Amino acid sequence: MRNRIFTRVILFFFAVLTLGLFYTQVLQRDVYEKLSEKNRVRVLPLEAPRGKIYDRKGRLLVNNRISFDVEVIFQEIKDVEGVIDLLSDIAYVDRQVLSLRIEKARRRPFIPVKIIEDIEKHKAIQIEEIALEVPGVIVTTRPLRNYIYKNSLSRITGYLGKISEEELDKYRTYGYRMRDFVGKDGIERSYNDYLRGVDGGLQVEVDSRGRELCILAIKEPQSGRDLHLSIDIELQKFCDSLLAEKRGAIVAMDPQTGAILAITSHPDFDPNIFVKRNNSKNVTALLNNSTTYPMLNRAISGLYPPGSVFKIIIASAALNEGCFDNKRTLTCEGSIMVGNRRFRCWREKGHGVISINEGIKASCNVFFYQLGILVGPDGISRYAFRFGFGKPTGIDIPGEANGFVPTPAWKRKNLRQPWFKGETANYAIGQGYLLVTPIQVVRAVAAIANGGKLVHPFVVERIEDVRLQHAGPRSMGLKKETLTIVKEALRDVVNARRGTGLYARSKDTVISGKTGTAQNPKGTSHAWFTGFAPFENPRLSIVVFIEHGGKGGLDPARFAKNIIEEAKRLELL
Amino acid sequence: MNRFDKALFFSVIAILLIGLATLYSASSRYDSQNVILRQLSWIFLGGVLFCIVLRVNYQRLGSISYLLYGISIFFLILVLFFGKARGGAHRWISLGVFNFQPSELAKITLVLALSSYIGKRKNEVTQVRFLFGVLCLVLPAFFLILIEPDLGTALLLIPITLAVLFAAGAKLRHLIGITSLGLCGLPFFWHFLKDYQKQRLIVFINPNIDPLGSGYTIIQSKIAVGSGGLLGKGWLSGTQNQLNFLPERHTDFIFSVVGEEWGFLGAFILILLYATIAYRGTKIIEATPDINGKLIATGFVTLFALQVLINIGMTIGFLPIVGLTLPLISYGGSSLITTLTYIGILLNIGMRRPLF
Repeated sequence: MRNRIFTRVILFFFAVLTLGLFYTQVLQRDVYEKLSEKNRVRVLPLEAPRGKIYDRKGRLLVNNRISFDVEVIFQEIKDVEGVIDLLSDIAYVDRQVLSLRIEKARRRPFIPVKIIEDIEKHKAIQIEEIALEVPGVIVTTRPLRNYIYKNSLSRITGYLGKISEEELDKYRTYGYRMRDFVGKDGIERSYNDYLRGVDGGLQVEVDSRGRELCILAIKEPQSGRDLHLSIDIELQKFCDSLLAEKRGAIVAMDPQTGAILAITSHPDFDPNIFVKRNNSKNVTALLNNSTTYPMLNRAISGLYPPGSVFKIIIASAALNEGCFDNKRTLTCEGSIMVGNRRFRCWREKGHGVISINEGIKASCNVFFYQLGILVGPDGISRYAFRFGFGKPTGIDIPGEANGFVPTPAWKRKNLRQPWFKGETANYAIGQGYLLVTPIQVVRAVAAIANGGKLVHPFVVERIEDVRLQHAGPRSMGLKKETLTIVKEALRDVVNARRGTGLYARSKDTVISGKTGTAQNPKGTSHAWFTGFAPFENPRLSIVVFIEHGGKGGLDPARFAKNIIEEAKRLELL
Repeated sequence: MNRFDKALFFSVIAILLIGLATLYSASSRYDSQNVILRQLSWIFLGGVLFCIVLRVNYQRLGSISYLLYGISIFFLILVLFFGKARGGAHRWISLGVFNFQPSELAKITLVLALSSYIGKRKNEVTQVRFLFGVLCLVLPAFFLILIEPDLGTALLLIPITLAVLFAAGAKLRHLIGITSLGLCGLPFFWHFLKDYQKQRLIVFINPNIDPLGSGYTIIQSKIAVGSGGLLGKGWLSGTQNQLNFLPERHTDFIFSVVGEEWGFLGAFILILLYATIAYRGTKIIEATPDINGKLIATGFVTLFALQVLINIGMTIGFLPIVGLTLPLISYGGSSLITTLTYIGILLNIGMRRPLF
């Protein structure tokens, strides 16, 4: 009896096992078949190199280089200490760091885990040779972004970073994958879709180590499209060398088209830092630097009071509105009472009886207090908007700031206070609530230079052979007479006797411009110079801004002259 | 020789041949010749022992069964101190060319000792006090194997003991009592497991918790068996096997290679052969009047059937991974030699039954 039960129990279990096998092998076959194919056939992404970036004369600015990485497959390692010895000897990586990273690889023992990134080529070859005898160590390659001019173009190119989760959700349908690198700033970001190529793939049969045994199919990657910039790298480097350790920004732009020839903001950073995967320490240090804000692109995102540079707009407004003309004069006695407050000129003795040309040339504050009051705060704001302040210029570099143009209505609404007359006086010399970006300033001065047109600044001229259709210049609707008077006055600022822009005077060409010294609550004044050259048919407009740089008539004016002379030497004028 | 069980014997031969072919395929990416040669030499060694135990009357084993069991216990202690560690477990004693696994020997000698002990006290088998005696006999081997650690083999001893007691006529409620007592002790038992053993049990429930770590083997094994389909991918053509996705594929997971390359059909034939051996074994049990022989046969048939069931069950993810070999196929001397030896004893028991 018990024998029978015993026999039946055993046969029962064998039957269950057979059913289990039938279930796995016959009923579930398709599922496992797919998984087995997935195991065997691996699609190795062939990363498409990003498009290269050239300057206006076809000089290479950004390309891709090959990075050699060392990976380990933990399961294959026979002698962990031996691997650490080998790698620390050749790659000079700290033993402790290595053993920590190998320890991490232990958690995923069957797949390659990257432990050293981007080593020199000769070391990679050395490791590869030895790796034949040391199982578990492999050397892989991938293309890496290479910013040839390092810091110099950081403002334009921006940098790359690992795709964020939100970006991934948004762009998954466009073929982006996790761990993809995308542009995080600059034109790497705004032109990411063009620069990014179409990744190819290699369908290979692999073994469990991921070793490729044979190629089943191949899809060539399509490299991204090349960008051609309006930047001139020589001029760009020159601007960088001028700013050096100073904080500030320089923009050089073609006033007729809006093509940017140079744009720089200091302090800057090296975009190559962001390319490496295990570099988070440097990256966080850079991103969190809150003393000098190296990540802030002062040229387009920095907000500052414009100071006397704004007098260009006041003069234009007064002339254009008919509040003032070429023949009328105003008197400066060194100070003036507005309401119950005394407003001073920068020249204690005063400027005497002066015309608008002399007012601009001498940058007389008392003259402009009176002129501003004539135009009125609403009129000033209207013209500020006309000259493009208070909204982004639309340059093709992301992260532009709006700036701020105050109005009496705004003040009533937000500060619940009426607009005081004294504020109008302040407003007229570019102080107070008004905030502008350097790029807005250069565009405003370009409008004087080009006959009253507001241009759309851009840095990317062509994508491969396709010239980009940037929005054309838009007329501000200023009278010709107004423009002539202001333009001539700007010429005299630099070239006439007792002009404030004396330091910008050049033997090579006629430079016109306006200085600015903007008081600010944080210390020494900000120094501005903005101008253009040559006087007839201007080819270059420029803004030089130095944070807490003192007087605009000194360094900025001198720098502007140097840049324009350099541009002439480079045949850009 | 007319009572020599030919069906059982030829099933063994067939399984050995299938095993060699599979082993050849499993090791074809590296040194398959060497692997086959070694396996052949163990089959030869096992064959010699098989012939010896076939000729010597099994009843003479009874008198030395305690001694043999004692020797096994001695080796089990020895292995704790001088054993070769592999994956954190001390299971092997190095004998030059050959790593000897004392737990394999312990399995047979325990069956012999157990049968001898119970056989002599058949009348007391219904008493609880007697069951404690049995427990005292089994526990040393159980704990020594457990702390090696070799969970699979240790646990295997429990159903074998229960089966032998069952065959000897122990009361069912006693057996159920012992079983439920063991089950109650399970949570307590969990704390004694090594980390990797806990991991194995966790990934048995959900392998995808750690697909590249501890869940890897079971996932890859299921993929191998499942993708074999009805007819298999063909000998030497299993991609899971040939491309090295399957770990431990010439030892504990060799059945996955059979499943992948020969499909359900091949696997079914193999199971049929195993079932034939088990079934013929139960026929020998039925036909043996000698209580000692009957109990020995019961122990061996249980051991054999369980090992096959558990091993194959774990390759398709029906049972957690425990380090048990597939009898007669897995690469390795200890397993092969002991299996051939106890099958020899089983056949011997079948041959010695008296004529009516």
